[in-house]
Amino acid sequence: MEVVSTVRPPLVTGGKTASDVTNDICRQVEGKPSKSWLMGMAISLTALAIGLYATIVLLWEGIGVWGLNKTVGWAWDITNFVWWVGIGHAGTLISAILLLFRQKWRMSINRAAEAMTIFAVICAAMFPGFHMGRLWLGFYWALPLPNTFGSLWVNFNSPLLWDVFAISTYFIVSAVFWYIGLIPDFATIRDRAKNKISKMIYGALSFGWDGAAKTWSRYESVALILAGLATPLVLSVHTIVSFDFATSVIPGWHTTIFPPYFVAGAIFSGFAMVMTLMLVARHVMNLKDYITIYHIELMNIIIIITGSIVGVAYLTELFISWYSGVPAEQYAFLNRATGPYWWAYWTMMTCNVISPQLFWIRKIRTSIVASFILSIVVNIGMWFERFVIIVTSLHRDYLPSSWAMFYPTFYDVGEYLFSLGFFFTCFLLFAKFFPVVNMAEVKSIIKSTGSTIKTSK
Amino acid sequence: MEENIKRYWNGLEQLKNDPEYVKYADKEFPQELPVGKEDSATPSSSRRDFLKMMGFSVAAASLAACEAPVRKAIPYLNKPVNLVPGVPNYYASTYSLGGDYCSIVVKTREGRPIKIQGNKLSHFSKGGTSAQVEASVLSLYDKERITDPLLDGEKSEWEVVDAEIIKQLKTIADQNGQIRIVSHSVLSPTTQDILDKFLEKFPSSKHIVYDTDSMHGMRVANKNNFGLALIPAYNFDKAEVIISFDADFLGNWLNAVGYSRDYAKTRKINKEHRKMSRHYQYESLMSLTGSNADYRIPIKPSQQGIIIAKLYNLIASKAGQNTLNVADPGEVKFLAKAADQLWSARGKSLVVAGSNDPDVQMLVNGINAMLGNYGSTIDLSKPVNLKQGDDKAMDAFLKELAEGKIGSVIFYNANPVYNHPKGSEIADSLSKTSLSISTSGVKDETASLVKYILPDHHYLESWNDAEPVPGHLSLAQPSITPLFDTRQVQESLLTWIEEEITDYYQYLNNTWERKYFPTQQKITEFQTFWDQSLHDGVYDYDAGSISPGDFLPLDNVAQGIGRKYPASNDGLELVLYSKIGIGNGTQANNPWLQEMPDPITKTTWDNYLTVPQALARELGIGADGNQFPVATLNARGMTMKVPVLVQPGQARGTLGLALGYGRKNAGIVANNLGIDAYPLMDNSRGFWSNVILEGVNIEPLSETYRIAQTQTHHTYMGRTNVIQEAYLEEYQADPAAGRHYANIAASMDLDRKMGDGKVDGKIDAKKITLWKGHDYNNHHWGLMVDMNSCIGCSACTISCQVENNVPVVGKEEVLNRRDMHWIRIDRYYSSDAPVNDPVGMEEAAENPEITHQPMMCQHCNNAPCETVCPVVATTHSTEGLNQMTYNRCVGTRYCANNCPYKVRRFNWFKYHDNDQFSMNISMHNDLGKMVLNPDVVVRSRGVMEKCSFCVQRIQYGKLEAKLEGRRPKDGEINVACAESCPSEALVFGDLNDPESRINKMMKVKEDNGNKVIQEDRIYTVLEEIGVRPNVFYTTKIRNKDLEDKNA
Amino acid sequence: MELNKKFIVGVYSDPDEVVSAVKKIQTNKIKVHEVYSPFAIHGIDEALGYKRSRLPIAAFLFGMLGTLLALTMQFWMMGIDWPMIIGGKNFASLPPFIPVTFELTVLISALGMVGVFMVASDLKPYKKVKLMDNRITDDKHVIAIDLGANNGASDEIKNLLKETGAEEVNEKNFE
Repeated sequence: MEVVSTVRPPLVTGGKTASDVTNDICRQVEGKPSKSWLMGMAISLTALAIGLYATIVLLWEGIGVWGLNKTVGWAWDITNFVWWVGIGHAGTLISAILLLFRQKWRMSINRAAEAMTIFAVICAAMFPGFHMGRLWLGFYWALPLPNTFGSLWVNFNSPLLWDVFAISTYFIVSAVFWYIGLIPDFATIRDRAKNKISKMIYGALSFGWDGAAKTWSRYESVALILAGLATPLVLSVHTIVSFDFATSVIPGWHTTIFPPYFVAGAIFSGFAMVMTLMLVARHVMNLKDYITIYHIELMNIIIIITGSIVGVAYLTELFISWYSGVPAEQYAFLNRATGPYWWAYWTMMTCNVISPQLFWIRKIRTSIVASFILSIVVNIGMWFERFVIIVTSLHRDYLPSSWAMFYPTFYDVGEYLFSLGFFFTCFLLFAKFFPVVNMAEVKSIIKSTGSTIKTSK
Repeated sequence: MEENIKRYWNGLEQLKNDPEYVKYADKEFPQELPVGKEDSATPSSSRRDFLKMMGFSVAAASLAACEAPVRKAIPYLNKPVNLVPGVPNYYASTYSLGGDYCSIVVKTREGRPIKIQGNKLSHFSKGGTSAQVEASVLSLYDKERITDPLLDGEKSEWEVVDAEIIKQLKTIADQNGQIRIVSHSVLSPTTQDILDKFLEKFPSSKHIVYDTDSMHGMRVANKNNFGLALIPAYNFDKAEVIISFDADFLGNWLNAVGYSRDYAKTRKINKEHRKMSRHYQYESLMSLTGSNADYRIPIKPSQQGIIIAKLYNLIASKAGQNTLNVADPGEVKFLAKAADQLWSARGKSLVVAGSNDPDVQMLVNGINAMLGNYGSTIDLSKPVNLKQGDDKAMDAFLKELAEGKIGSVIFYNANPVYNHPKGSEIADSLSKTSLSISTSGVKDETASLVKYILPDHHYLESWNDAEPVPGHLSLAQPSITPLFDTRQVQESLLTWIEEEITDYYQYLNNTWERKYFPTQQKITEFQTFWDQSLHDGVYDYDAGSISPGDFLPLDNVAQGIGRKYPASNDGLELVLYSKIGIGNGTQANNPWLQEMPDPITKTTWDNYLTVPQALARELGIGADGNQFPVATLNARGMTMKVPVLVQPGQARGTLGLALGYGRKNAGIVANNLGIDAYPLMDNSRGFWSNVILEGVNIEPLSETYRIAQTQTHHTYMGRTNVIQEAYLEEYQADPAAGRHYANIAASMDLDRKMGDGKVDGKIDAKKITLWKGHDYNNHHWGLMVDMNSCIGCSACTISCQVENNVPVVGKEEVLNRRDMHWIRIDRYYSSDAPVNDPVGMEEAAENPEITHQPMMCQHCNNAPCETVCPVVATTHSTEGLNQMTYNRCVGTRYCANNCPYKVRRFNWFKYHDNDQFSMNISMHNDLGKMVLNPDVVVRSRGVMEKCSFCVQRIQYGKLEAKLEGRRPKDGEINVACAESCPSEALVFGDLNDPESRINKMMKVKEDNGNKVIQEDRIYTVLEEIGVRPNVFYTTKIRNKDLEDKNA
Repeated sequence: MELNKKFIVGVYSDPDEVVSAVKKIQTNKIKVHEVYSPFAIHGIDEALGYKRSRLPIAAFLFGMLGTLLALTMQFWMMGIDWPMIIGGKNFASLPPFIPVTFELTVLISALGMVGVFMVASDLKPYKKVKLMDNRITDDKHVIAIDLGANNGASDEIKNLLKETGAEEVNEKNFE
């Protein structure tokens, strides 16, 4: 039984009724695409096209088109990978953990957040693929297949293999969770559909949903258990990603603090990305009554918390490196802050540690413009965090003779552009053809937490 | 070698001395071969035959390339005698190129020479090789070789050109026109014999010998001092104190390969033997030799003369002889100390100078004479035949040529148009000769200007002999049938002087029967004698020692010195030197050598102007990343644009520029690479000198130039877990001096567990582990690197490259830091900054101490690379090898990232059969591919590769032993790098074999399962991370007095 | 569930009314066939007397299966089928196997449970859906009463529904 204190601001404003909800959300799906939508689509498709060119050249010529070298074997590729995985954390976190905590305010954003998660995870998964010297073999040799497929089994000691399992599990479970949520809403669209085709399509998508009470009760427990499973999963994914570095011997990588630090960072960047998208959607799809300032404020608070955790982690790292008494370790961190890549380190510090602290000020916390800008700043910062960890640790490790610099090429950037283009294309398509807000859930709270209580006659 | 004796026999016929055999002895295969039956007469077909036969190996090579399609495969129909596919044959032979010499053993597979090794039986080159020798095998398969005799650039036939040439020579001789044969030093007595015959036949002809880096001065000096124009033998192994003035005797000076081994002998130390030679180096540039010196003092070239004179005086005063009256150079660091030590080490010391100035060499002779080094460290009775160049004669020839007095000139494998300072003059006046001939195998700068190009065989296709030292002969035998329609020069000469025997093999054979067979009694049968010599590659006889006259005192040397060497010179001075890899430029077109990092600057693919730090600061120039400043260099009235590289340890006011670059007609690889410095050579002081004292200046320009370096950080940042060094005194006091022990403070609990394993309250990191690991009970391969003997010559790098089909990636990719060498030599400069100043430590000292550290896969028992590979493409063998499974690798590069030594190499692109990498000629065309080692695959794009400890050799050795039902003997199995090492710094072997050298040197003791190393000098790099490498290093001990530590 | 031919359908807007209605109807000895609504109404399953779903048990069992599968796979592959020396470590040891084991547990548990749910609730893409009222996926709640099961006392039922606050009461026939 959910208890909602009445002093809380309404989660849905504008005196919406259940059928208003249906209309508002379905209008997007049924209506013609808006101008701003088409514009967004055009932009992301161009990015995708440029990225595609870069990708084709990469696959044709070889990894050499990137700026990597014998010392720095990973740079933008794995940076992007970790960045995207991090972003992919918010969605499931919002719907799963907040569901467990009965946070109703999640309801109007979790649908989009989950979609974002799924697309982000796909983007993330691209990079371990592209960064392989022999993708055409790697994509299936990384699975535990019998020796007839290549040779030997896979190496279960390798964090990279753990990633394969973690990422794919996370992807599948999130997708399932998301889809389960979609079924009733597909049914809604099905029943409103005018023409035959969409009736058929949405009919199939809705799995013949008829809203029977029995199904609803099963449905509820499924959602609850999935949430229960997804919660540790969310935490595990970035923990395992952090193992890629934590289990190595490279100073700056070999750090036990990484798992919690990475998870916090992931939630941090994830919420920032959700914020960015929500604010866009809110504007473009005119969902002001569903994504209220209250939602924004709550998300900003989470951003302050996770941001501060990340900040503490950075400082801890510095302290431990000094405290360890290991010269290589000490140099690695000194080099981060003062070496050739100092600018990357300080960009990271400013964006991730200092900027979110502005949210302590209520005015900024509740300002849409500020939230939008800061949400982007945070994700820039988080990208640099990964870049700093990967590149500045590698480029000056144990033997000074191998110290080298990394300079990105067009193709490094192109690959990143590709993932961005892909992500926004997918998200826009989702926003157009899928119900961006979980209607069923929102309807269920209209009465309890809507701004105007419908009196029963 | 010994184990291989039977393999050298070319079958029973050889034993029986069957005439049939003798007839075809110089052919690789007996003529019964099915191929080439049709018309084996015409040479053209023999080439085709060869290619047919090699088709198999070509296929092997292309097969080897992972997933590359098989182009053609023609199996042997009848197996040639003594040729088992997959089993190498070894032929002892001789390397002589551009006047350099090395006694070698050629490894052939399916009839292709694929690898060159040193001949351990030679007491001249002493079993070592150099990078140049190792790389020379590639030039055999150079697609740009001339395939037929050329008349005015048109393909012709030998009969035709012979007829013409004989006619013309006659006419010229009849009109008493001048005929000249121009060549580098000729080491072959038999060839000399033929040349003499030629000179006899044409009395108006002369044989002109010149050297690119002339040592004429030394011969003159010895003529004045001992009445013999010769170069003595130097015994560095007998020297306790060595002083070298600009003589790069470990690099390019005379018999560097042999000297390296001798020198290293005096540097090897251990608990029992705590003595080593002391080496002072007074030089202007940072030479390879200088980088190994205990005391290295930078001096301006202009001062060299008076500094040596000062040393002379110091010694003279000790010897009670009258001193010379020359200007005083002022305070010269450690000169007095050096003099004292020389004096106390009388007869066991050695002073050498690189200068070509007779006066300087006479001073040096004087010093050595006073020290009584003649007869011990210097042997006049066994002169070295290298560097016979006679500058005077060459100058005379140039004059005559310019005046058009020369009727005919024959360039015998010489390329003076490029590598003589006056090359351009030769080019201009060649047209004045009526008959110009070059025997060059490629269309080089000279050959492209002559009327006839009559290509000589490649030295691996030739019969020849050589006598580097009187009484020490070595034979060269073809290890392959000539690839093209070429002909040995000797044969041409014999034809032109219309000898009855024109077949050089016959001639050589007869000469030996006549001249050398009688010099011994052991063997009564000439054929046996011949076969024995052929098998050994070398033959020693008593040539009757030369008895030098007594040392004649130096008259008017003082004036000479005074005239040529000012007391002080404020102007800049330019020194032209030759690099270890490219040398005088003869092999410039060899991509292996071009990409070999210079041992000192670690640069590839370029030459550049080296400037001392002080001057760089003065001019306010310095490199930014790989962007190097460019300046205009003015010297001897010439102006050229040169990139500038700041070289620590270079003498103030001195500039350095490498010879051997800027070639115009070398081939696709070397053309227009770098700047040609030969024209700058100076003879204004009466001798050809590589030093320009006057009128040198540079003006920095605004533009920059990218120089490709394989190492861009030059100091070791005081990391004692990487470089562990000490001074001899410290070592004598404590054999563990300089060792850095990875001891860590551990928890009480662990403390208790370790019990006695504690050192000053801390625990040896090696003893702490989460798992017990695996035992290596059968073999446990290991490599030991003696940092004291490693001189950084980089022969190992090339040897490895040849053995393991390591690709060449070209300048651009080196700039991207993607060089592929499996074994690199890290060169570290010392820094003056304190350890707590990380920024300061990045700057090398003004005159740094240098450490060369060979770095290859460390084959860690707890290899971090293995753990992280998702597809188990890299695993550990049961013999301690870290193995790379290329065809399993998917190229995540995680292993390379997680390698603390950064020795893993990734195939960023497809380096084989790729026109973007046409400079990688050993993988680009069918001919070049014949040099590939069929036992090693050519790696495909996108896979990781690295040092494998030459696993193919290990397997082969084990199989050989198995066939004979025994364990492999130590030394039978050796890795390519260790095999080539001229200073025996690398020792490879089985740690489990108590008889193995490595086991003995490291004093390995079995202690219930785990091996304990008892030699205190042994350490492993980065011990504290507990990866347990199987490559071991020794602390570097410098023989420098502690009080001079910071001097 | 096989639908019978004739139904009486009461349409409501307020979820709370539906719950009380269901209670009331049942007290009048009339069997409610099923309640259909656009979102889950809390308390309705108690009202209808639905037992607690057994899906959690399914989830647990599938999870165990995953754990077992993962561990056996890894130990067999690394330890038994093809042992290799990797980084000097033991051929097969538990710690490095934990991550994969965890992931497979979650994966199989989730998929298994959802599968069971689909089957149990007979959800499938090609299902022909028969709705009591088209608005139940919008904003209306519907109580359906099977005439066959309540021996055709249709008027009584209709009134009852009206009393409990149904906005309209229709008959629904599935031919």
